[in-house]
Amino acid sequence: MTPVISRLARTDWFGPLAVIVFATIIVSAFDPSFLSPFNIQILMLAVAVNCVIAMSQMVIIAIGQMNLAVGAIGGLAAISFAGMMQIWGLPPLLAAAAALALGIVAGLANGLLISATGISAFIITLASLSIFKGANLGITRAQPFYGVPESVKAFGNTTIAGPIPWLALPAALVIAAMWYLLYRQRIGRYILAVGGNQSAAELSGISVPSAVLWAHAMSGFLAALAGVLLVARLQLGEPTIGDDWLILSFAAPVIGGAVLSGGHVSVFGTLFGVVIVAIITQALVIFRIDPFFVQVVLGLLILWAVGVNRLREVRMQRTLKRA
Amino acid sequence: MDNVGFEARGVRKTFPGVLALQDVGIKLRGGSIHALLGENGAGKSTLIKIITGVHRPDSGEMLLNGAPVRFEGPREAIAAGIGVVHQERNLVPRFSVGENILLERLGGGLLRPIDYAAIHAEARRWLDVLELDLDPRTPVSQLNVAKMQLVEIAKALSLRSRVLLLDEPTASLTPHESLVLFGLLRKLRDEGVGILFVSHKLEEVQAICDEVTVLRDGRNACESRSMAGLERQDLVRLMIGRSEQIPNWTPRDRGAAEPMLELRDVSTSLGHKAVDLTVRRGEIVGLYGLVGAGRTELAKCILGLHAITQGAIVVAGRPERIADVADAVHRCKIGYISEDRKQEGLVLTHSVLQNAGITVWRGLANRLRLLGDRTVRSHVLPFIRKLEVRTPSLAQTVSNLSGGNQQKISVAKWLAAGARILIVDEPTVGIDIKTKAYIHELLRQLADEGTAILLITSDMPEIITLADRIVVMDDYRIKGDIINDRSYAPMSERIMHLIHDRDAA
Repeated sequence: MTPVISRLARTDWFGPLAVIVFATIIVSAFDPSFLSPFNIQILMLAVAVNCVIAMSQMVIIAIGQMNLAVGAIGGLAAISFAGMMQIWGLPPLLAAAAALALGIVAGLANGLLISATGISAFIITLASLSIFKGANLGITRAQPFYGVPESVKAFGNTTIAGPIPWLALPAALVIAAMWYLLYRQRIGRYILAVGGNQSAAELSGISVPSAVLWAHAMSGFLAALAGVLLVARLQLGEPTIGDDWLILSFAAPVIGGAVLSGGHVSVFGTLFGVVIVAIITQALVIFRIDPFFVQVVLGLLILWAVGVNRLREVRMQRTLKRA
Repeated sequence: MDNVGFEARGVRKTFPGVLALQDVGIKLRGGSIHALLGENGAGKSTLIKIITGVHRPDSGEMLLNGAPVRFEGPREAIAAGIGVVHQERNLVPRFSVGENILLERLGGGLLRPIDYAAIHAEARRWLDVLELDLDPRTPVSQLNVAKMQLVEIAKALSLRSRVLLLDEPTASLTPHESLVLFGLLRKLRDEGVGILFVSHKLEEVQAICDEVTVLRDGRNACESRSMAGLERQDLVRLMIGRSEQIPNWTPRDRGAAEPMLELRDVSTSLGHKAVDLTVRRGEIVGLYGLVGAGRTELAKCILGLHAITQGAIVVAGRPERIADVADAVHRCKIGYISEDRKQEGLVLTHSVLQNAGITVWRGLANRLRLLGDRTVRSHVLPFIRKLEVRTPSLAQTVSNLSGGNQQKISVAKWLAAGARILIVDEPTVGIDIKTKAYIHELLRQLADEGTAILLITSDMPEIITLADRIVVMDDYRIKGDIINDRSYAPMSERIMHLIHDRDAA
C-alpha cells in the first residue's frame, strides 16, 4: 500500500466511505434509478433522521456506557410533540422546544441514577426504557396523534433545493455540533477521557458524574430531536416511534469505528455508518429481497464492522511492537 | 518546625475488614526529598491516596502550610498544589501525550475551540524539562510503559505542584531513565518543592532521599527522620522489624539434567530471530535484558499467543506445536506468571479461591463432572498456606489485597496447576523486601523439586541471586549465555558487556 492509502486506512471514516462508494457503484449498475434525484432525496430523508438517532447513542458509547432507552425517549418526545400541538394547540416551535426539554430531562434522569447509584447504565436504561415506553402508551392508549400542523408536515416532506430535504438541515447541524463538541470542546474531551480511562480522568480532577450527566443529557436531547423529526416526516405522532432504533443506534457508530468500551468514537464514521445502512436497506428493496431481512443484514453488518475494528486494532498493536 | 509544606497527623483509615492506617503521621518539608517506605500492605498507597484526596481519612488531620485542609476529592488536592504520580498508569490511551498532560486544563470556551497547538507547545515545555524526546501529539497508546510513566511525571510537574508524590516512579524505568529522573528531582528539590518518593529499591532511596518515614502494618515505624546515619540494614530493620537475610545459596549445576523446554533456532512473528534456549529440569534460567528487549514477547510466543515462524519448541524431549495458551497449560504443563498481574495475571474482582483455582477447574471438573468450592478449596488451600497469603478469607476479593499478596496468589495458581515449566516474568516488581525474599526462596525451592523455571527479570541482584544460568537478550536476539557463580560485580559486568557489544558486532 502506498503511504497515503495506508494513512487513510487508519482513519475511522475511510473504510465506511469506501464501502459507500463501492456499494453505490454496484447498486446503480443494476438499477440506474438508484442515483435519480428522487431516490437520493429518499436516502437523505432516511439518513437525516437515522444519523441523529446514531449520534444519540454515540455520545453514550463515547463515555463507555450504553443507552437502551434512546428509542423510548425519542418515542415519548415524539408523541408529546404531536400531542401538545393537537390537544393543547401549542405552536409547533414551542411544542418542539418542550419535547426537546423533555428529552433532556429524561436523559438527565438516566445520568443521575447512573452516577448516583453506580449501577451500570445497561440496567438503569433498561428500566427507564420500560418506564418511558409505558408512559408513552399510557398517554396515547396506543393511538396516534393525527393533529400535526401543515407547517410541520411541510418541514418533514419538502426540499430546500434539488434533492436536499429540509430534514437534512437539523441533521447537518447536529453532525457539526457533535464534531465541535467532541473534538474541540472541553466537555466532549472529558466525556471521551472518562470513556477512555475513568480513573485517569478522575485523578486528573475531572468530575466523572458531571461528564456522565452531560453525555446523557445530550443523548436525551438528540433522541428527542430524532423523535420530533420523525413526527414531521411521518405527519403523525405514532406511539411506535423509537421501537426499532436500538440496533441501528449501535450499528452505525460501530461501523464508524467506535470502541464499545468507550473513549473512541468517530462522528463522520458514524454518519457513513448510517449511510451504509440506508443504502443497503434500499438495495434490498431494489433487488426485491424481503424487507424483513433488513434486520438480518443489519446484524451481519454489525458483526462485520466489529470484526474490521478488531482487525485494525490487532494490526496497530503489531506495528507498535515492531516500532 | 519550619518550612513544613504538608503535614498529616494521627491519620486512621479502615476499609471493610482491614485497618489500613492507624495513627500515622508524616511531615513533608519544602526543598526535601522524603522517602516513604514499607512493605506491601503496610499502607503506603493508602496514605498517598489520603494525601491526594482519593480517600478520606476516618480521623486525623492534615495541614497544608500550617492551615488545616480536608480534600473532598482529587480535584481539590490538585488545586491545593499537590501533584501525584500513582502506581497504576493513569492516562487516556487514545488522547495525545500533550492532551493527557494538560487534561484538566484544556481551556477553550463555547465559541473558542480548544487550542491544540497551544496545548502541545505547553506540553513540549514539560517534556523538555524531563529531557524526553517525544512528540506531544503522539497518542499515549503508542508509548511503552516507561514513557507513559515519564508522561505522568511531566503531567504532575506541569501542575507546578509544591508537593509532589511519586508512588514507585522507577518501577518500569531503565537505569538510565531513573538517573535522569533523579537529577530532575534534585533540581525540583532545590527549587523548594517537597517530594515524597516511594520505592522498594533502597539504593535509590539512599541515593536521593533526605528524610524518611517508614510504615509497618499501618503504623509509623519511624516518622519524618533524617536519612543521615541510616544504613540500608537500618531501613530494612525498620520496614520488616528484622534485618535482611541474604540467601547464601550454593551454585548449582544442572547441565546434566534432562532439558524440559528447548527452543531451537526459533523465529517468531513478533521479530525474534534464531533464538536458542534450553531450560533443564530443576534449573532456573535467568533471561536478562533491558525493557523492550523482547523477553516477555518471547514468553508469549512460547505460550502460543503469537506464531512461531521458524524453528522448533521441544517440551520434555518432544517437539510440540503449541496452539494456544490452554494447550500450553494443560498439555505441556507450562505456567506463566505475568509481569502485569493486575491486567493479565488475576481476575481482580474475583475471590482468592476463584483466582487460585482457575487453572485447576478443568482437571478437577473432569474427574468429578462437578466443580464444588470444597474440591477447589482442598486442592488450593495448601498452596495458599505455603505462600502465607495474607487474606481474611478465601472469599476475599483479590483487588482488596496488597500487591505482594496478589503476586503470591499468581504463584499459587500455577503451583496448584502442577506446572512442570514455569515462566516467571518480573516476579518481584513492586514487591517489598520480605515478600521478595520469600518469592525467591519459593522459586528456588520449586526448582529443587524439579520445576524448570525461566525467570525474566530486569533486576540485576535478583537474577544473580536466583539464576543458575543467565541468558542475555537484546533487540529480540540472544546475545549470550553465562553460568552464574553468584559473585555480583563480575557477573553484572559480564551481563552489561553482552548487552552493549551490539555496537561492536
